[in-house]
Amino acid sequence: MKVTIDDVVLPGDFCEDIIKAGEKSRVILGPGLRKELEKIFITKAGVLRKRAPNTYWVDSYQKRYVPARGENVIGVVIQKAGDSFRVDVGGSCSATLSYLSFEGATKKNRPEVQVGDVIYAKMLVASKDMEPELVCVDSNGKKGRLGVLNDGFVFKCSINLVRKILNPSCPLLNSLKNEWPFELAAGMNGRIWIKANSMRETIAVGNAILGCEYLTSEEIKSMCTNIASILAGHVS
Amino acid sequence: MGAEEKDLRDFKLQPMKCELNFLSKSDGSAILSQGDTVALVSVNGPLDIKSTSQSIEKSTLEILFCSKGGKPSVADRYKENVIRQTCEKAVLGCLYPRTGITITIQELEDFGGFLSCALNCACLALLNSGVSLRHVFACVTCGVDEKGEVVLGGRGCDTQISCVFDSIDKTLITCFSEGTYSEGTYLEAVARCRAASELVFAFYRDVVSKYSNAI
Repeated sequence: MKVTIDDVVLPGDFCEDIIKAGEKSRVILGPGLRKELEKIFITKAGVLRKRAPNTYWVDSYQKRYVPARGENVIGVVIQKAGDSFRVDVGGSCSATLSYLSFEGATKKNRPEVQVGDVIYAKMLVASKDMEPELVCVDSNGKKGRLGVLNDGFVFKCSINLVRKILNPSCPLLNSLKNEWPFELAAGMNGRIWIKANSMRETIAVGNAILGCEYLTSEEIKSMCTNIASILAGHVS
Repeated sequence: MGAEEKDLRDFKLQPMKCELNFLSKSDGSAILSQGDTVALVSVNGPLDIKSTSQSIEKSTLEILFCSKGGKPSVADRYKENVIRQTCEKAVLGCLYPRTGITITIQELEDFGGFLSCALNCACLALLNSGVSLRHVFACVTCGVDEKGEVVLGGRGCDTQISCVFDSIDKTLITCFSEGTYSEGTYLEAVARCRAASELVFAFYRDVVSKYSNAI
């Protein structure tokens, strides 16, 4: 079936608008789109989206992570193997993380990472034929916000929930940060790490995130005030 | 996630009801009822599998069929085979080499036409799991009554013909049947099923549009 931008699409549909745009300039095909024999086919169920000038993708529901280059993910170190760590990121195979790809790490000065540590890292290499590779530094050799996550609490959720809360138009984090202080790292592999001052507050943040999956912006705002008032003890 | 009811009485298809994401732990799942027949399908993958069953070109599909009694039988192997061949055509396995995708089918109620219900349910579960697909597929069953006429649905008929179509240009990708019928009857049944498959595709689109507004 022929579809246009912002339509609900199913695999096997094709879009001629993208072909037309492609004749004039280069277009970028995001997840859920595939070129086959001069036609652009949809491969995932969801909503076809476009961002000006020429990026197209399908917003779809997904729980299983498929590694993609440049994404920030949260992984658990499962093995120390010689000069690299093996990190479970939830994909089909574990990722490698070289011990040299930490800020200030040298052959002599190894980073302190133990098996079982939670790591916030960036996907450097992610192709379907090779095992993914992670780094904990940016291209300037600075760690930025990447590295080992100490304390806190990690939970899993669907991948589109992570996309939703990271979307600048989603009011969840903006509403929550005004209510009480907490730290949060969201991995694009569907894992979220949170750390707050007390257990009560940590659980409240986690529940707020999990609860907003199918809510609209307005409902999210009222839910946040609701949770904040429960936490403050006004409502038992 | 999305519960949906559709009256398909015009085409005499069984009314379909479906819920996606029925199981919380699997990567994708769906429960579908077509009339009284109910199937539950869960999809897990792409996952790591043992290296003997890995393929360097495409992902390996594994189908597990659990009947209500729980005892495996030869008939179940046949059903697994039909479902695997259909899903292998639909799944873009070349995007996930050296991995495995497991599809588990649980029979809940069987009042006839279970395999066609399981196939449609597997398609919905694959859509829910976010695995890349070439196309969606729809299975429709026809029966042949005593007078030799083709009826859609065809509960209780001795002869039953089921056809699976892809969504791109409605080509026949799988066909399985029971009983005896003539060539003319077969061609008529395929044509009737092809027309009715439109309804199933429209149902899929309806289900997806229900939940994609929320995400």
